[in-house]
Amino acid sequence: MKITIDGIVCEAQKGEMLLQIARRNNIFIPTLCHSDALPGLGSCRLCMAEVMDRGRRSVVASCIYPVKGEIEVFTHSDKIKSIRRNLLMLLYARAPEDETINKLRKEYGVPDNIRFSGDIEEHCILCGLCVKACEELGSSAISTINRGVTKKVATPYDEPSSQCIGCGACAYVCPTNAIKIEENDGERTIWNKTFQLVRCERCGKPFATREQLEYSNKKLGTDCGEALCEVCKKAVVGEKLKDIYERTT
Amino acid sequence: MMSKTVYVCCGTGCLANNSMEVYKELKRLIEKYEVDAEVKTTVKATGCNGLCEKGPLVKIQPDDICYRKVKAKDAEEIVTKTLLNGEIIDRLLIFDITKGKKVTSHRDTDFYKSQKKIALRNIGEIDPANIDDYIERGGYEALRKMLSQMAPEEVISEIEKSGLRGRGGGGFPTGRKWRQCDSIDSYPKYIICNGDEGDPGAFMDRSIMEGDPNTVIEGMTICAYSIKSNNGFIYIRDEYSLALKNMDAAIRQAKERGFLGKNIMGSGFDFDIQIVRGGGAFVCGESTALMQSIEGNVGEPRAKYIHSVEKGLWGQPTVLNNVETWANVPEIIFKGSEWFNSIGTDTSKGTKVFSLVGKVKNTGLVEIPMGTTLRELVFKIGGGIIGNKKFKAVQSGGPSGGCIPESLLDLPVDFDTLKKAGSMMGSGGIIVMDERTCMVDVARYYLDFLSEESCGKCVACREGIKRMLEILTDICSGKGTVEDLVLLEDLCHTVGEASLCGLGKTAPNPVLTTLKYFRDEYLAHINEKRCPAGVCPIKEVRA
Repeated sequence: MKITIDGIVCEAQKGEMLLQIARRNNIFIPTLCHSDALPGLGSCRLCMAEVMDRGRRSVVASCIYPVKGEIEVFTHSDKIKSIRRNLLMLLYARAPEDETINKLRKEYGVPDNIRFSGDIEEHCILCGLCVKACEELGSSAISTINRGVTKKVATPYDEPSSQCIGCGACAYVCPTNAIKIEENDGERTIWNKTFQLVRCERCGKPFATREQLEYSNKKLGTDCGEALCEVCKKAVVGEKLKDIYERTT
Repeated sequence: MMSKTVYVCCGTGCLANNSMEVYKELKRLIEKYEVDAEVKTTVKATGCNGLCEKGPLVKIQPDDICYRKVKAKDAEEIVTKTLLNGEIIDRLLIFDITKGKKVTSHRDTDFYKSQKKIALRNIGEIDPANIDDYIERGGYEALRKMLSQMAPEEVISEIEKSGLRGRGGGGFPTGRKWRQCDSIDSYPKYIICNGDEGDPGAFMDRSIMEGDPNTVIEGMTICAYSIKSNNGFIYIRDEYSLALKNMDAAIRQAKERGFLGKNIMGSGFDFDIQIVRGGGAFVCGESTALMQSIEGNVGEPRAKYIHSVEKGLWGQPTVLNNVETWANVPEIIFKGSEWFNSIGTDTSKGTKVFSLVGKVKNTGLVEIPMGTTLRELVFKIGGGIIGNKKFKAVQSGGPSGGCIPESLLDLPVDFDTLKKAGSMMGSGGIIVMDERTCMVDVARYYLDFLSEESCGKCVACREGIKRMLEILTDICSGKGTVEDLVLLEDLCHTVGEASLCGLGKTAPNPVLTTLKYFRDEYLAHINEKRCPAGVCPIKEVRA
């Protein structure tokens, strides 16, 4: 099946998300709430595009819009640009000091003196990626709570969650670095909970929480053996490969 | 021996005016005076009669006498005079405004005369807690007819031909929805009744669930048979305690009588209904958020690029209709699509239930044929504006709807005309406003409501409504500028286009319609720092 995006003919599979097709064809659509590893959320609305389907024009969120037929897509029409500008103005009003938002804001020509003001400490844009990552990894320690203007991401009652394993996946996927992880003296603090960090058995660097290692062992159904940090793990694998290579040649 | 029935309205409005005391007192006195010796008298607590303004209402049949604003202390007189001696008590009769005189039967008032009751056909006429009352008025006959005479496919065709459109707001053709769901080859399939009515001032679905719960059950069962579903859910907001109670009792009784559960009426068809209580979030009235809520997740909508008829509850094909839509189904099956199709306008068939509130003389629950004009609704059925003030606007469709000015009063009400006027049918809330209402303040009120009730998932709706509300609050307090109006309209378009679900997409309607029809009021606030209706507390700025 073929669809046209901004005049470029693209090969597409039925049911594939529009954003995925665009990216494969090097057509840039801005996103904040998208991660290739997670299902689409459609919350930041920056990926809006205009779709012409059998004579009907509509505005869709490309990250969650499954292509069903041979459509024509416009990702940078005047209407879309105006929507994106306003959305970025709203995001900037919410998180005025955030680096990611400011970069996008400038790209889309939103002035820095807008009518609205916001909390300079605020970085979270409530995209929901952290909640989705936590859910997909199997912990579901955090969720969005409340609704409307009081919505936020939190653990139940803002208390340390028994489900949280301190893996930091939430902070890793966050587009605006809004989730704070503090690490010092072999301890990691996240979501009001402090974890002891396990040291790498080779280099001695504290690298993961005990709960995190236990969780992955349990999930894999096997003991992963030596607790190694990313760097040492790579080194060990490298050495093993070298060994095999030398023995076989 | 003659038999008489005394109906005491125990709908929410009348209950609030102590109708339960009237009911108990009448019951006690009928026993005391041994009325049964001469006439067999039963007292029934019924659902909402509609004319809530005049409640508590007491009707006596077969004499067709209706008393209004009855108090417990009037019970003695009703029993001794009317029941025992057939005397009519003049001071309890309804005064019909247009006729300028008192009328004995409620049917003679303009409030009732212009109405046509389909969805509300039994409400006020039966005791909702007693399934026999429903059966006596032809209840479950449609189900019997269908199970004995119709193939599932015929049922869908009949609903399609009737032209019934969803009464929850969008007006999607009900038959088409069922057909689409039927065509998906994936089981199990689910049936949902949306009873999460949340519009401020709306109580249509509430009254149906309270006053005639069996019709909803029958409607859902008919659909279940046609699309081969065995499981249904009724989602009722938890604040509706009487609706929950009556619905629960109705489901239990229907199961006992074999209208629900295993092997319905001996046909071999199984269908069961479960009640799910909502937590009071307005957004859970949005179909996909409602399904999330039933599944036990946070009530956030999802995009509808894949329809619920294909992937709905737990990813399975699902038909969701609102309470009023379900209430229409048994009558269509029983009387046929042609009968239903003959009522209404070209594009909107049948009737629509409205809760008529605000500054009208007769507030209450009304059901009128589609195509009735707003003027008739407000001035004939509603009896005009209280205190004979000047009419200003009607707000239809709740927070998703808009305000319609006097110039459009002759608009025949249906799904399409209201949409064209910038408003929408919504679930049927009609709020009448008079000259003392400030339209900017009205827009501000609705956005304030929505800013709290938006689920907060998408940026456009959550942040957009918040900032639109900021602008409106500023205008109302005399701090608005002309530039603000430009920005406000711009934001309206972005929120309307870019929001994820219907709540956000329609949120700008109250602002857009007031800007369109009452722009001068906005300008008076901005340029003259004056609220023409005298509502907004603008501090006078002296030069």
